[in-house]
Amino acid sequence: MATLAPGVKTGPYHAVLDHIHPEPTSFIRRYIFSIDAKVIGIQYMITGGLFFLIAGLLAEIIRAQLMSPTGAVVTPATYNAIYSMHGSAMVWMVIIPLVSGAFGNFVMPLQIGARDVAFPWLNLAAFWMFPVAGIILFSSFLVGAPDAGWTEYPPISLQGPPGTSLWCIAIFLVGVSSTLTGINFAVTMLKMRAPGMTFTRMPLFVWAQLATSPLLFVATTALGAALAALFIERTFGVPFYDPAHGGSPVLWQHMFWFYSHPAVYIMILPVFGIISEVLPTFSKKPIFGYKMVAFSTVSIALLGFTVWAHHMFTSGMVPWLQLPFMILTMLIAIPTGVKIFSWMATLWGGSIDWKTPMLFATAFLITFTCGGLTGFFLAAVPADYHEHGSYFVVAHFHYVLYGGSVMGLFAGFYYWWPKITGKMYNETLGQLHFWITFIAFNGTFMPMHWLGLMGMPRRVAIYDPQYTFWNQFASISSFILALSMLIFLYNMLIWTFRHGKPAGPNPWGGRTLEWMISSPPPYYNYKKIPAVLAAPYDFGNPLPYIGLDAAPGAVEATPTAESHPVPTH
Amino acid sequence: MAQRVVKPKTNLGPGFWPITALIVVVSAIMIYFTATSPWPVGLIPAGEPAPATDSLFRFLGCVAAFIFNVVVIYTIYFGIVFRRPKDAPPHHIGVQIHDAPVLEFWWTVIPTILIIILAIFSVKIWDDLQNTQGDVLTVEAIGYQFGFQFRYPKLANVVSGELHLPVNTPTTVQITSRDVIHGFWLPEFRVKADMVPGLITTIRITPLQTGTFRIVCSEFCGVAHGAMHGTVVVQSQADFAKWFKAQGATGTSATGGAAGAAVAVSSGSASAGQALFQSKCTACHSTGEFSQKIVGPGLGHIFNDPAHPKLVNGAAPTPANVAKLIHDGYTGDIGTMPSATVNAINNTDIANLTAYLVSLSKK
Amino acid sequence: MAVSVAKQGYHLGHGEVDDHHDTVIYNETRDMRLLGFVLFLCADVILFSSFIFAYIYLRTTVSPVWPPIMDGKQLPRLDVAFACFNSVVLFGSGVTMHFAMEGWRHAKRGMFNLFMGLTIVLGAGFLAGQGYEYMHAKIGGWSGSIFGASFFTLTGMHGFHVFVGVCYLIVLWWQTSRSVYTTDRYFGLTAGTLYWHFVDVIWVALFFLFYLW
Repeated sequence: MATLAPGVKTGPYHAVLDHIHPEPTSFIRRYIFSIDAKVIGIQYMITGGLFFLIAGLLAEIIRAQLMSPTGAVVTPATYNAIYSMHGSAMVWMVIIPLVSGAFGNFVMPLQIGARDVAFPWLNLAAFWMFPVAGIILFSSFLVGAPDAGWTEYPPISLQGPPGTSLWCIAIFLVGVSSTLTGINFAVTMLKMRAPGMTFTRMPLFVWAQLATSPLLFVATTALGAALAALFIERTFGVPFYDPAHGGSPVLWQHMFWFYSHPAVYIMILPVFGIISEVLPTFSKKPIFGYKMVAFSTVSIALLGFTVWAHHMFTSGMVPWLQLPFMILTMLIAIPTGVKIFSWMATLWGGSIDWKTPMLFATAFLITFTCGGLTGFFLAAVPADYHEHGSYFVVAHFHYVLYGGSVMGLFAGFYYWWPKITGKMYNETLGQLHFWITFIAFNGTFMPMHWLGLMGMPRRVAIYDPQYTFWNQFASISSFILALSMLIFLYNMLIWTFRHGKPAGPNPWGGRTLEWMISSPPPYYNYKKIPAVLAAPYDFGNPLPYIGLDAAPGAVEATPTAESHPVPTH
Repeated sequence: MAQRVVKPKTNLGPGFWPITALIVVVSAIMIYFTATSPWPVGLIPAGEPAPATDSLFRFLGCVAAFIFNVVVIYTIYFGIVFRRPKDAPPHHIGVQIHDAPVLEFWWTVIPTILIIILAIFSVKIWDDLQNTQGDVLTVEAIGYQFGFQFRYPKLANVVSGELHLPVNTPTTVQITSRDVIHGFWLPEFRVKADMVPGLITTIRITPLQTGTFRIVCSEFCGVAHGAMHGTVVVQSQADFAKWFKAQGATGTSATGGAAGAAVAVSSGSASAGQALFQSKCTACHSTGEFSQKIVGPGLGHIFNDPAHPKLVNGAAPTPANVAKLIHDGYTGDIGTMPSATVNAINNTDIANLTAYLVSLSKK
Repeated sequence: MAVSVAKQGYHLGHGEVDDHHDTVIYNETRDMRLLGFVLFLCADVILFSSFIFAYIYLRTTVSPVWPPIMDGKQLPRLDVAFACFNSVVLFGSGVTMHFAMEGWRHAKRGMFNLFMGLTIVLGAGFLAGQGYEYMHAKIGGWSGSIFGASFFTLTGMHGFHVFVGVCYLIVLWWQTSRSVYTTDRYFGLTAGTLYWHFVDVIWVALFFLFYLW
């Protein structure tokens, strides 16, 4: 049982795993400029979390303004800057870094049985671009923040305040960070899986990161080109987008959305991976339809490149072009539906333990489905002629981004917090956070479907008085939603460290590799690289991994003369 | 390790079939109400393509309701029924099933078929919209910061601030912008197109009832985007013909006042002016100090502000000059103040507005 | 600190350890670094493709004529003859790079040095040629029209890549003189070759798009 069966493929990577270098001793090398992917992952969590709080505050200013149809909390000019920065920060400085940089760095190498990512120094460089980019973005408030939405359509963005140019630089920089991370992760997952971890034995979180990585390095560069063109047009008058100089505003839309649609899949696919981890662990049964879920993940990533112009149905593009984009957008619903049904079937027949990660993951199924269904309403071109540019769109994307990505991120935080910190959070506070969030979230965004269909446009500081009641309802719900964050922060940042019980290696009884070692993991992750004998999530089987508590005769990594005495596990 | 196997009668879980029946019943009820309601409830379908689009909404709504119910009700049901029992031993696990190819086949194929049906329905309506005859009447719509201007090609020198249309007449609206991208959205018609500088976009509508409907700017265009609204006035064929003729005859808005006729400023009504100010001017002007700018300056002391002894066009701040400024409009660095024609106000309106501004300065 | 794989491979590839076990390690890290470098080049291709899309879109969909009209007059086309000559220079440097690597693989240092030197000279020559082209192209400058916008931006990006490439090749050549690489461990040279051929391929596309089309 403890040896590799003859002929079992060992995977591409074994010899290099021997070395364990000594841990650095200085504070700077351990916590500031660390090349340990786990430390980098935590740094992404802290930075992304901080930006989430700032961008969330901006959202509350938006909702405060919209409490009244003639709101005067801020001037219209300031309001425009606030919602533009809210959107830009949430997409590029919160969700993308958290789903890829934070969880990808901390969890993925552990789940494939690696000690780190393929290029740790590149990882370090990519991380530090992120807070610098965030500072550049937020510093735009000092010179006149960008005010034409996170989409910054020209010609208005060409005339925008100086902060628009800072926005170009900041997003370009965080895009470089994303690109490097995508390359790093792709090579890691393709080349550094532990012996025996074939593709069909990879956890689905790893599949999700693998499908996301080409989006990170292919799509992001397209955005870089668009941003560079906007910047040089603003700064040097080089005409790409200004019709007064022969350019085309629609060109920007094509270039921007060619990235920004795959970007939304960057924001959701790793979260799909989180759900695929949480549901089996708390149902104590394998994920249902593993192969189809993996296949669907990859299909969504690929199809995601083909649908960008569904954001442009009313833009003046040639009508016949609307058809293929409509059909392809509708097609994405099929693999997405397969995943939703597979997740539901994972719940069926389970032995379900309703801890906080499970609550968020299950609620995700409901809220993400809502968002997906309204996406279908938007895909149908004649319906989109009514819905585009209205609050219906705002409702849709908040359902998939908050009801999807953020709720999934909460599930991931609660799930892996014991592994990261070594301590248990407070379960009662977690459940309280969940219920308030779930109810307040729906209260905030459900009315917006209606507001949009009834004719309320988006990106407005004032509105027709007929929309007052539901705007107030949404605003009050959003204040409650914001307050619920305080419970989460207190629980994770204070209570866990003061009162949390030691978590031990596997508080949830999970079956993926990260649960086989201590919490928090040692800096080298695995003293001996495990050899993987079976699929993850097989709760009915005996422990399938060897190398961790290796029996004599098992395949073991041999320390070389160069490594220092290895600490006991 | 002991394995718990679920062994209810139907082998699918206790109450599975009743829950399925519940889903069917709830869906049927929701589908019934969706299919038979005017949708969106409360937003009248003022003309084509609203009826066709509303039928698409209803169809989408029916399918969405069914899928929503399937996901939500089964998820909640599974979540409750398959909870770990409180007295379960620590190694209690669920049914160790990996997949069920037949089930997976059907839950892929059935949604695919639903999607194909939805796609066909959407394409059909899309096709109808593309091929709609719309050329009985052609109007040009030009967006600017922050209003809409309409030109009737047969009245080349007439520009109207309101879109007047005859009922039951297929109309093509050719749309562009003078400055940045705007959105030309007629919610009661369920249709919009972006107003893009350098491009002409097109929508085709056929008003089916008379009345006044909204035009909403649906694409961010600057500081007063939220205030950028317009009006569609659908009239009977006869009334429209009268309005149309009056435009051609006088070359100005048919609401009266030949170009250049003197505005009888002294006879204006401040209270009427106040109401008009609220609807026409507050998008860009406040009634406070000059510095209380929205787009243009605050007008509270337009006649007696020592810091600003001249109007924006250099004229002295007298009621007559203010009336002329309102009549002619003004184009400057921060945008265009529409002329009276574009604002669809006549000389009486101008007199009222001037009287209102005079009353503000007296406070 | 957890093992830094690439760094490990770097030391191995620099002839610092020499036994079979380390060959296996070297090969594995080389494969990883090669994959990473190829993925980087893919991302770079997308960067160029985006601007190429912009150029094609502007030229076919937006501008009524090509070359477009500036200040009332239609702009002239670019000079194909000179660009042909400059292209031959660049493609020639790709050929010499190939021969340089052949020389390296067969341990013919003299051949390697000759052809590597030629590659660098030809690369620098191409840049000089581009400088000449920029001074003599009469298409209204960078900001004068969408012609200048797309031409100078795309060829400028390409020229920047060539410049970086020439610098990289100089550094690699210097490293060979310090015996950093061996006849079977020379990942740095592989990366340099790949990058240089990539720059050539991009130029094929740009030459076609701006001079022949």
